[in-house]
Amino acid sequence: MKTLKYTLFLITLLTVLFISCSKDYPTGSEFDPYTFSGTDQNGGEWKPILLTSNEQIIIDAPSSTTSDAYKAELGAMKTAISSNAEADAIAYWGNNPIVRWNEIARELAAKYNLTPAPNADGTYPAPSAAKPDVYPYFPFAHPPYACRAFAYLSTAQLDGLIAAWHYKYKFNRPAVHITDNTIKSAFPTNDLPSYPSDGAVIAAVSRDILSALFPLEKQYIKDKADEMKRSLIAAGINVESDISAGDSLGRGIAKVFLKRASTDGMSKAQVSKAVSDSLRTVALARFGWEWSNQESPQRPVGIAPFYGKLKLWSVPNVESVRPLPPPAPGSADFNKAADELKTIAANLTNEQRRIANWWSDGLGTYTPPGHWNRVATDNIIKYKMNPLRSARVFAYLNMAIQDAGISCWDAKYYYHYPRPIQSMIGFKTILGTPNFPSYTSGHSTFSAAAATFLSYIFPAEKTQFDAMAHEASESRIYGGIHFRFDCEAGLEAGKKIAEFTIQKAITDGSN
Amino acid sequence: MYSAILRLGNFIGLLFMTIFVALATLSKTEAQTPSDALMMKKSELCIAALYQHDTWDHYWEGTLLRENLNIGTLTRTNVMPMIAYGITERLNVILSLPYVSTSASGGQMAGVSGFQDFSIFAKYKILNLEKTSGSFQTFGTVGYSLPATSYLSDYMPLNLGLGTNELSARVIMKYEHNSGLYLRGSFAYLYRTTTETERDYYYADKGIYSSTMDVPNTTTVDGALGAWLFDRSIQLEVGAVKNTAQSGDDIRRQNAPQPTNKMNMSNVNAYLRFFPKFFSGFSIIAGYTQVLEGRNIGKSTILTGGLTYQFSTKKQIAQ
Repeated sequence: MKTLKYTLFLITLLTVLFISCSKDYPTGSEFDPYTFSGTDQNGGEWKPILLTSNEQIIIDAPSSTTSDAYKAELGAMKTAISSNAEADAIAYWGNNPIVRWNEIARELAAKYNLTPAPNADGTYPAPSAAKPDVYPYFPFAHPPYACRAFAYLSTAQLDGLIAAWHYKYKFNRPAVHITDNTIKSAFPTNDLPSYPSDGAVIAAVSRDILSALFPLEKQYIKDKADEMKRSLIAAGINVESDISAGDSLGRGIAKVFLKRASTDGMSKAQVSKAVSDSLRTVALARFGWEWSNQESPQRPVGIAPFYGKLKLWSVPNVESVRPLPPPAPGSADFNKAADELKTIAANLTNEQRRIANWWSDGLGTYTPPGHWNRVATDNIIKYKMNPLRSARVFAYLNMAIQDAGISCWDAKYYYHYPRPIQSMIGFKTILGTPNFPSYTSGHSTFSAAAATFLSYIFPAEKTQFDAMAHEASESRIYGGIHFRFDCEAGLEAGKKIAEFTIQKAITDGSN
Repeated sequence: MYSAILRLGNFIGLLFMTIFVALATLSKTEAQTPSDALMMKKSELCIAALYQHDTWDHYWEGTLLRENLNIGTLTRTNVMPMIAYGITERLNVILSLPYVSTSASGGQMAGVSGFQDFSIFAKYKILNLEKTSGSFQTFGTVGYSLPATSYLSDYMPLNLGLGTNELSARVIMKYEHNSGLYLRGSFAYLYRTTTETERDYYYADKGIYSSTMDVPNTTTVDGALGAWLFDRSIQLEVGAVKNTAQSGDDIRRQNAPQPTNKMNMSNVNAYLRFFPKFFSGFSIIAGYTQVLEGRNIGKSTILTGGLTYQFSTKKQIAQ
């Protein structure tokens, strides 16, 4: 019986140890509210992305802080503060909600980044914007779709905040902690005028943009926006009239961006099989090679063949950044690259495997653009940026990334170059090969554009960003899904594209 | 062709002869696995090598049974050396370390191979009631396993294993009639720690910023009806197993599985073990398992073959 007792003791002990191991995992960046490195008083005069003026969307002047209406709002705020009902929301949103909305966008991308399953007869259904709730659900948030979503979200946020900053200093309604010093802000205080609420602008813009891009998530997104607005009152930041003015401004801004989105070419990016086949025919005639999907059953059309025709943000035209042709399959340069893939696959180290997986960001994830938004987030927090500056980083970063995507997709379907698994018979990989042509590497183009732009914003981190971009690029070679020349051309193009973005950012009046 | 059939005929003939000879000359040696109800005597050592051949061409994506031509047929082979030792009459320990290989007949994903998880089990005979008609026994098993190599669990379905430390506690009950017929049932709880992936963002009902994945704890219930035949030279058994994950998410539509998935499984199985007298101490194992129901798991057919050799260390030292 003694042995039994020991056994039971051991079971109990190990059980306790195991249970205490399970934990809650972070669902975003963890940061405490921080004092902004600056408040950018002239932010209202920065050059917007799409707005033609910082008063394109009109809002009413606020009531005076001595008015009864304002005092009543302060009373409501005090009730909200004392109820403490929004404590979790205040802790979640913090004082830089730009970060949270970026995370929400990443999560939606990951949730919708699923490729359609084949029908029983071997054909494939396609998602439809007109019927988003019919499987396959709309959208399929592949990297081109995701980076476009990030770009619209963050450029609209930036223009919204430029307009908000403009009105803040135009109307100069003092912050709540100044008009009533009995109210204690949940966040470190600053001298930003409170009307309109920059938080409410962010909530409204983000809600309207993301709802349009992820229509099935409308309710989830609205709940987030409502929660955020409530938390601003409960945190002692904005009274109701600050919020409603911000919401109204945000709605107007979002419309401007959604108008561009409706005519940017995205609705025509996914083409018919006939058009897709004609691209293959043209490539075969022009170059003597062609790309075909290698899945079973074969997918009839690659991802977004006409994405290369989308409206660019900063690059004058896509042909100006199109890389030179890749080496022909069977040529000496090709054989060298193919041999490299075979050698790596046969001798794959744990470190190479780790790098391939680390940067994979494939189906079901937030995509490589999402990965770089995360890198930007970490640095925005590290450098204690205010929401306006944060929005500027995300806006230009995602314009650079989307331009990189458009350029890369132009090259992919112009050159229509086969993947390693197509041109190297019997070659096996440790990553799944995506459903679009090989040349150039999307990861490399996205990453070089992102690293180059982020290095302009955070020059002290340049070495690190460049190393990350090179590793992301190299990861595709380790994964067996790209040739080295795909990656090198992508890195070069991405860098070139980001230079256009930087030129635009330099002249926006923020420096 | 004809000579091949002749050779096969000879082989079958030889096999039958072997069985016949063995039946005539019986051995009572028994060896064991963590889930059976067998015990070894003090100082007895059993060395075993088991081979499993597991294939499936359909799997459950969540609850949807489907095929995937980019996987085709998934094959998983498992060579498992095992050592069991009788510390006392009531307490045995079992050690094992399987070598696993995976491959897919469809698609272009590379298979992997390597040592999987090292495991140690202690089996304790809690209760032994001898009646005139038969005997009733209760056993408790505690096991611990951990990855023996740095294999990647987040490479499903071609992964070698779940990459988690696992603590299992099992209670086994068995009633054996004097005729050799027996009934056995067991219940086990498998506590699993987390597994480390090579990415620090994944989606499991929500976006998670971590490289660590929870691997669901699992309960397993099994029951078997068996018989010792021909003076205990043959053990024949049919049974069923049901594994139920206690948490976890479903594989999303047309997405790859991941270690966080809720993996449920029910199978039926048959098992034959033969103890030839002329090779005293040896036994031959053959098994067949068919998965019938599941969730986030392959609809596997598993063939098992094995060889065990059991001897007393004391006796040899004494000699």
